[in-house]
Amino acid sequence: MATHNTNAFRSGLKLMIDGDPCSIVENEVVKPGKGQAFNRIKIRNLKTGRVVERTYKSGESVEAADVIDTELQYLYNDGEQWHFMHPETYDQMAADKVAVGDAIKWLKEQDMCTVTLWNGSPLAVTPPNFVVLAVADTDPGLKGDTSGGGGKPATLETGAVVQVPLFIAIGEELKIDTRTGKYVSRAKD
Amino acid sequence: MFPVPKTSSKYEWQASASIETIKLRAQTLRQIRTFFDKQGVLEVDTPTLSSSTIPDPFIESFQTQYIPLTQTMQNNIYYLHTSPEFPMKRLLAGGSGSIYQISKVFRQGEVSSRHNPEFTLLEWYQVDWDHRQLMQQVSQLLTELLAPFIQLDETVFISYKEAFQKEFGFNPHTVSKSELIKCTEQIGLADVLNLDEDKDRFLELLFSHKIEPSLGKSKDDNAYICLLYNYPATQASLAKTSMENDYPIAQRFEVFINGIELGNGFNELNDAQEQKKRFTMENKLRVEAGQLEVPLDERFLECLYSLPQCAGVAIGIERLLMIMSQKKHINEVIAFPFEKA
Repeated sequence: MATHNTNAFRSGLKLMIDGDPCSIVENEVVKPGKGQAFNRIKIRNLKTGRVVERTYKSGESVEAADVIDTELQYLYNDGEQWHFMHPETYDQMAADKVAVGDAIKWLKEQDMCTVTLWNGSPLAVTPPNFVVLAVADTDPGLKGDTSGGGGKPATLETGAVVQVPLFIAIGEELKIDTRTGKYVSRAKD
Repeated sequence: MFPVPKTSSKYEWQASASIETIKLRAQTLRQIRTFFDKQGVLEVDTPTLSSSTIPDPFIESFQTQYIPLTQTMQNNIYYLHTSPEFPMKRLLAGGSGSIYQISKVFRQGEVSSRHNPEFTLLEWYQVDWDHRQLMQQVSQLLTELLAPFIQLDETVFISYKEAFQKEFGFNPHTVSKSELIKCTEQIGLADVLNLDEDKDRFLELLFSHKIEPSLGKSKDDNAYICLLYNYPATQASLAKTSMENDYPIAQRFEVFINGIELGNGFNELNDAQEQKKRFTMENKLRVEAGQLEVPLDERFLECLYSLPQCAGVAIGIERLLMIMSQKKHINEVIAFPFEKA
């Protein structure tokens, strides 16, 4: 069993906590001038996304989680699973709905995504920071209104709904920031 | 607080502290020297390298080797001091009168937003004083140094017992271990310690997580100097002990500002046999924990027979500078911190 000593703790380090893979968000060393030292960490449960706090005596070892991030290309959804492919080895991998999570509304075929693997299986999918998606439906565009003031909802090709400026019309390609879920601009050709 | 080294410098060779902070250090050291000069406290200089070190199981010394030019003698292990306490007490025992020192000290395994393995310690001793008088002076010095930089509420003196009673409702000197275990469970700190560990470890766990962060920080986030005194006798280290009601306490104090521990002081123990007993016990704990036993400083122990009544305290200069300049990471007040040294 691979372990990490508290002196290797840093943000991003992956640990097994209560049977779940977790990632350290923050590590604080509580070391008094006299007396026992502790490492107080904030950890994100990579299955649930929940952030909790834990304390360890400094010098202890904690089980490591076999978690790695891979860059895979999104291929298609077969109704139950989302299929990804390694761009060089062409190895394919399927992620279930839980692993895909919120990324579902940003996944566009052929986009490169970060697929987090735990013991070799997809645990989480992170879409690219920016995606370009076509508008599937929105109220008619107001011609000539490029002021950007006000806005309206638009449904994108993936089903995501975002606020867009009034001048955006159906069929236009938009650049979206997936971290905030916000419209950035029209996609430039 | 993120323990990420803060470096605004573009190149690896550049200092991680700003020129303003480097000037602040120089100005602060000058001010400290003026303060003690006025008081008639003598500045002294004691060795960084020593043939022995402190056996405290929670302080680990750097070790190095003396290699004689001609290989006739056996090579000797020397330790970088973790505080100048032992040789300073030898000076006191020799009749120096009140003394102070500003020196670099070294401690293993301490790298964090508030720790650098090499740091600057201001340590001073007042002959004929006890820890209560010294606490007043700590407050006076820190107020003088900090007042131009931050808004300070009035200094608070609070006993270790009061601090625990306020937070947890029990007396830390008389509380049972099972009560302490129950308390750690209630606040989500179960399983951090083994159940067979010392009562002091549980007190330290509760203290560092639930009491220390708010010491020296008022409800409306104003800073104040907090002096916490009368520790459990089992955490006496080099302090005298005495009876309070029906339990023994250590005449020891610590000073906190904004939840940051700045220093530690003692009404100095001058009982050589008692000190040797404590050191021997600490060495035993080291061996049990798989740490190396350290040679006891016999010259220091011997001087305690002549040590006058005195109180002493050590203040971390980098942490003081952090508070003065409102920096979040110790690397912001050190020109070349450990990662760049």
